[in-house]
Amino acid sequence: MLALQLLCNGLATGCALGVVAVTFSLVYSTTKLFHVAHAGVFTLGGYLAWSMTTRGTPFIVALVVAVAVCAATGALIQAWLYARLERRHATHLVILIASLGTLAVMQNIIAAIYSPNILQFSLSWASEVVAGGGSVRLTVIQVLIVVASLAAYGGLMWFAHRTILGKQMRAVASNPFLAEITRLRPRRVHVYVMAIASAVVSVPGVLVPVDLGLQPYNGVTPLLTATIAMIAGGVGSVTGAFVLAVAIAELQNLSLLVIPGEWSIGITFFIFVIFMLFRPTGLFAAVR
Amino acid sequence: MDFWLSYATLASIYVLLGLSTNLLVGIAGIFSVSQAAVFGVGAYIVSYLLMNEVTSFLPAMLVAAVFCVLLNVLVTLPALRVSGDYFVVTSFGIQLLATAIFTNWTFGTGGANGLPGIPPADLFGKTLDSTTQMVELCVGAMILGCLAFWLIMRAPFGRLLRAIREDELAVAAAGKNVLRAKVSAAAMAGAFAGSAGGLYATFLSFIDPSSFDLDASILLLTMVVVGGARTLAGSIIGPFLLLALPQVLSLIDIPTTIAAAARQLIYGVLLIAFMLFRPQGLAGEKL
Repeated sequence: MLALQLLCNGLATGCALGVVAVTFSLVYSTTKLFHVAHAGVFTLGGYLAWSMTTRGTPFIVALVVAVAVCAATGALIQAWLYARLERRHATHLVILIASLGTLAVMQNIIAAIYSPNILQFSLSWASEVVAGGGSVRLTVIQVLIVVASLAAYGGLMWFAHRTILGKQMRAVASNPFLAEITRLRPRRVHVYVMAIASAVVSVPGVLVPVDLGLQPYNGVTPLLTATIAMIAGGVGSVTGAFVLAVAIAELQNLSLLVIPGEWSIGITFFIFVIFMLFRPTGLFAAVR
Repeated sequence: MDFWLSYATLASIYVLLGLSTNLLVGIAGIFSVSQAAVFGVGAYIVSYLLMNEVTSFLPAMLVAAVFCVLLNVLVTLPALRVSGDYFVVTSFGIQLLATAIFTNWTFGTGGANGLPGIPPADLFGKTLDSTTQMVELCVGAMILGCLAFWLIMRAPFGRLLRAIREDELAVAAAGKNVLRAKVSAAAMAGAFAGSAGGLYATFLSFIDPSSFDLDASILLLTMVVVGGARTLAGSIIGPFLLLALPQVLSLIDIPTTIAAAARQLIYGVLLIAFMLFRPQGLAGEKL
């Protein structure tokens, strides 16, 4: 029974991580930047929603506002920081350090305003049990996380393959030079990509803390797990990233049966090392 | 007076760490946020060996340095073999894993409460228990470290490392083994960080996981970025400046609850500002 409960928890966390992985992979494949500050955007969404709901704003309004603000934040990071550095032909390392700096700034502004302690949402509907009997219980918020994450994933796939902007994004990702000479304006597309990725990642950024609580420095571990999922799934394969994120979360949760929870980061990292040694291109590597 | 002595000691230790981070980030061009973890491993090994009276100070330092070299080689080799970006993941992973181990492996590390009562350092049978003696030891170690760094950088191997940062492809085409040079730089970085850990543990006689977490790694990176990458002067200026920052902050009236966040916030702002306006730092070369 415990195993079943852990599987349910793993599915909820895994789907949320999947969205983080998919959005990170979107940014990574288009802009070629290792966007570490993505973890900060993820955290920011939760805190915005928390401040609004504790002041009596309906949850759905808070969610929408958080998504909008995160989208703007992502676009600003790209337009003001990354693009500026790229114009000066800054090396990859320089942009990476700037991104880490952005993460530190975001986390610590949050910590200075809200204190570094854990915060809980006080939403009574969220922890109501939807399904399950005996010791297995599935709460409203867990179901919501799974549904919203799958919707976000599906929406993103549809967007990338069926809309003009999505096709432009993929064009810029696959060949920036060709995109430039066919007047696709890669720089502008990069800003859109960051806005979209930040908007989508803030959905689990809001929903997961409703279930598990908020902490300013809590974005790094999900980001690490998501990047590992992206690499293990094969860079460039969006579905691979999502599937591997769910798989890693399930493994983490099942490992709780034998290993205490504080070591779950070890499990994640172990998976990464195994992949790096035996299949560095990932499971679903795109055929080139 | 005591304040200045402990400032000098800590700054010397952080200069060793700055050299270590500079070797990895500035010279080999590998982004790393796990130097504090390696520093911590060194500190815990030396503490363990001294507290259980297994060895005296110098052999303990040697064990720590060797162990940290092996650790750095083990983690850089597979990641660099694949792609530079994979090392970002490795680095975050090592740092988070190390924090988990330092905090949760209560038997070996004392857990979140830390390890109190680490005996002072000793040299050739003589215990160094006064602050003055400790300052001399740490400043001596710093001078040794700087000398080693300077010698390495002017040797053919140092030129090879510089060349890799300029144009990796050209170096590879010239028949040099780029991967081996990078891993060697990482190994030396490990030795520096490990011995800094040993000095830190014996100087403070108390260590806990908070000195070796991700924030500490970000501090080390900020030191190198502010001081300047790839130069000896940069690795010395950065630690001395940034260690003075908490003192300056204590003059301004900030509530203690947000003091830590404020400090980290400043490090983040410094990282962004230097990358935007002066990527070479105060006294460094192009990053």
